[in-house]
Amino acid sequence: MAKPKIAFFDFAGCEGDQLQIANLEERLLDILGHVEVVSFREVVTGHSDDYDVAFVEGSITRPGDEERLKEIRKNAKILVALGACAAIGGINCLKNFQAENVYREEVYGAHARWYPTYAARPLKSVVKVDAEVPGCPIDGAEFARITKDLLLGRTPWVPDFPVCVECKQAGNVCRYEMGRMCLGIITRAGCGAACVSQGAHCWGCRGLVPGANLDAARIVMDRPGTSRKAVQDLLRFFLGDTGAAL
Amino acid sequence: MTTYTVYKEQLPELFGKWSEEYSLYVPAKLREGFYDLVAWKPGLEIAWDFDVAYNSPKRFLFPPREALITFDRRTCEAKPVFEAPPQILFGVHPYDVKAINQLDQLLEGGAPDQNYVRRREATVIMAYEPLTVSSTAFWASVGAGTVAHGFDLYWTKIGPAAFTVEVGSAKGEELLSLCGGLVPATAGDKEGARRARARVQFRARKNSLRYNWEETPRLLAKCWDSPLWRRYSQMCLACGSCNLVCPTCYCFDIRDEVDDQLGEGVRYREWDGCMLEGFAKVAGNHNFRPKAQDRYRHRYFRKGKYIYDKIGELGCVGCGRCVRACTAGIANPLKVFNELWEETAHEH
Repeated sequence: MAKPKIAFFDFAGCEGDQLQIANLEERLLDILGHVEVVSFREVVTGHSDDYDVAFVEGSITRPGDEERLKEIRKNAKILVALGACAAIGGINCLKNFQAENVYREEVYGAHARWYPTYAARPLKSVVKVDAEVPGCPIDGAEFARITKDLLLGRTPWVPDFPVCVECKQAGNVCRYEMGRMCLGIITRAGCGAACVSQGAHCWGCRGLVPGANLDAARIVMDRPGTSRKAVQDLLRFFLGDTGAAL
Repeated sequence: MTTYTVYKEQLPELFGKWSEEYSLYVPAKLREGFYDLVAWKPGLEIAWDFDVAYNSPKRFLFPPREALITFDRRTCEAKPVFEAPPQILFGVHPYDVKAINQLDQLLEGGAPDQNYVRRREATVIMAYEPLTVSSTAFWASVGAGTVAHGFDLYWTKIGPAAFTVEVGSAKGEELLSLCGGLVPATAGDKEGARRARARVQFRARKNSLRYNWEETPRLLAKCWDSPLWRRYSQMCLACGSCNLVCPTCYCFDIRDEVDDQLGEGVRYREWDGCMLEGFAKVAGNHNFRPKAQDRYRHRYFRKGKYIYDKIGELGCVGCGRCVRACTAGIANPLKVFNELWEETAHEH
């Protein structure tokens, strides 16, 4: 069997997810041994439009992006959204809560008129997405696991439960018991509760867990000592494109 | 069984001796109001008055993630993986000993869980009478305030610097005598231990079931259609926290991962929980417990009836961990059972 050809693309984002893949270093050689990379500008030179799997990073923020993404979709058999910006819109969606003239002027200054943009959105708002590697940034090990699953013809598994599960597995003291806020209660696990284990709280970068009970979550978060504004800011940080953001 | 009196000043030497061969875990303060069993090292301050270990002791016998087999895709061969490091759990409260006894019955019965059995065999349990009671605990009212077996040694603090140590097994006695000079407990020391126990048992009855715990299965049998399940489960985040912190929950999921050459791989298990939405998902994506209400009810039936039907004990030892862990404030066996008792008051 010929090796599947894979290509990497990026839209609005920091390319940090591709960097996470490049950071796999020696593991990367083994994994890339099973595929042929035709386009990955952080790792190899050259580009070809003949590929089977497209890993696409970044959000769609301009009307012109749609055309390019649809072209990628047309060429690829499998399209994988890489990272929070591509999968759920991520922090690019923060601008969706500002007036258009405000953010355009902030980004493009006096030449704002030259650059048409629109509300930031995830890839799935424009084309069909076959698989997602969530997170900001993605977890290199999870990328490897999903890629291997695809190579073996298995449906890639990503956790369908909230971060609380991994927090309890790690034995962390719950942020709510410490009087703090945390989005772990509605966020898809898979990060190993990385932020909480390091002393912070969950920001929701992996997107909503399927079936997230947002009504309950709002009641849980609305407690003494927490302002509604703080809850709203936290929900908008990564989840601006979801129903969670108020 | 023999009871000895041990003084605090003997402990550093004993602990040092034990930790040569065992991983030794002792209660310590994590932060104000939070305690847990942590790895002992010389000089570590032991939290003698801890109310509850934040994480249940099941993690030492049934780790959150554990390899079961390794396999080779090319040769289709598989080998079991057993890890059972010798360990001493020092400072296990009686309700947690009871929870371990229950896991022993459930995991060693039928087709024994080989990974669990091996870890359990390599584990020494040193029970410890609590001095304080967590505000969410109700162990005294579910028959989990005392245990008759399941420990190698049972420590009771009878003064600022003295303990009585009841021997539960030959292994325990051997470990205790490693540094020699064992003094049998006097009648006065034993009386001191009895009083210490009576005091904490009294305090623990502050949160109590309003009926005899043995009625719980019969109570639940009448409450399948209670409106309570829906009322509480509306707030359920399906986060599984109540399952995962529970000392008697032992469900797990099994997954495979292959190495980067796609040659060899490992099959491992990870904690799962019946409150998670995907728990009851089977082939074809069918979910036989799709609603939070079904899952919520299931957990209480599991704790209050199904386990009882198997082994004659409640599946809940009243540690109160789920009450603390539930951010939505709906996990509370004491409250749920008491409310169901009230709801059916006209029948009893």
